[in-house]
Amino acid sequence: MAATQTRRQAILAAMVRVVGQKGYKETSVADVIAEANVSRTTFYKHFEDKHTCFLAAYEMLVEEVFGEVVAKCDGGAPWLARMTTGLTTLVDRFAVDPALARTAVVEVAAAGADARRLHWEAVARFTEYLDAGRELAGGRELPANISLMSAGAVSGLIFDELLAGRAAELPARLPDLLFAMLVPYVGPQVAAAEMRRAAQRH
Amino acid sequence: MPRSSQGERWRPPRGRHGLPPEVVARSQRERLLAATMQVAAEKGYTPMTIADLTKRAGISRTTFYELFGDKEACFLAAYDAAVDRLVRRVSAAYEAEGRWPDRARAGLRVLLEALASEPAQARLALVDVAAAGPAAQRRYRAAVQRLTPLFDDGRDFAPGGRSLPANTSRMAAGAVAGLVADELVAGRAEQLPGLLSDVLFATLVPYLGPDAAAREVGEEI
Repeated sequence: MAATQTRRQAILAAMVRVVGQKGYKETSVADVIAEANVSRTTFYKHFEDKHTCFLAAYEMLVEEVFGEVVAKCDGGAPWLARMTTGLTTLVDRFAVDPALARTAVVEVAAAGADARRLHWEAVARFTEYLDAGRELAGGRELPANISLMSAGAVSGLIFDELLAGRAAELPARLPDLLFAMLVPYVGPQVAAAEMRRAAQRH
Repeated sequence: MPRSSQGERWRPPRGRHGLPPEVVARSQRERLLAATMQVAAEKGYTPMTIADLTKRAGISRTTFYELFGDKEACFLAAYDAAVDRLVRRVSAAYEAEGRWPDRARAGLRVLLEALASEPAQARLALVDVAAAGPAAQRRYRAAVQRLTPLFDDGRDFAPGGRSLPANTSRMAAGAVAGLVADELVAGRAEQLPGLLSDVLFATLVPYLGPDAAAREVGEEI
């Protein structure tokens, strides 16, 4: 049982790596089993086809990255500090693992409607955290979907960098990403101050 | 993407008509581009065949290959043409106004209405485009960025706008794209015009902050 689970995990991890390197469309089951070092029979014992395997791999990826980000965010810290830490953790993870980043953000879009839904749900999990920032707005009335604006701005910038093959430079973009994430909640002055602080740390 | 006149696009008369060959070729190319966006939106990019396209456009297979090397090249040209049309319309509405927040509102209104008028093509252009491969994905991001100069006039309008990050307009465009994609994924393309206040807020907020952005959005809706 343990060995079976390990093989399944190995296949999922291989799927994430290969798709990140070759692209979803170009990836074949043969590539994945070679990378995971398992037989074709083993692959089909666990998964019906490439697509279902990719969906499972994507879910695992989200759990892993999301878990890591949440673990780094101290629940007791103020919202601004938590969001900064969370975004930094995400960006650093993407920078050290460009293939994972590409699968998570770029290739998922090419893997069909089911995969895009999983991506969207993952973004929504991050935006739930963001939404605590409403409290900072005091009595202001902010649009209901403000967290979506924030997430859209951030993921657009990350997407562009990854599409251009610049995952390693993402941490250098952190000041801009922070500004984009915070500005709908706190406005340009406060967001710019956070941005300068991040730039100094970098 | 948008434009509803595709159904009645002009065709040259059949047989001997003495039209200059370049006029015939241009009409065939335009018909093919319109047909490509329609078929890709109805059927999806991957299952779409060249036979589907030549049939819808009323051209021969030979003519297709005179115009484009393959399905992808044809799709990318069709995509670019649709984006060009949309950007021209949005820019025209934007230029017609004076103050920057009013210009942004006018441009965004046209954008949302255009997308809502062709739901299937809007979804194709903004959500399903990735299925057409990495080149198409890059075209999508390039299309979003073509709207950023409109946002960047906020730099001159906003107090302290000059000191904002160089990427501010890309962030605003990303926020707008995120809101619009969310509606499209949920199958609510027709309701996009109702998103104007939110999309306008997303555009103004990096430049003006939430208070001033909310005031601008609140005026004249």
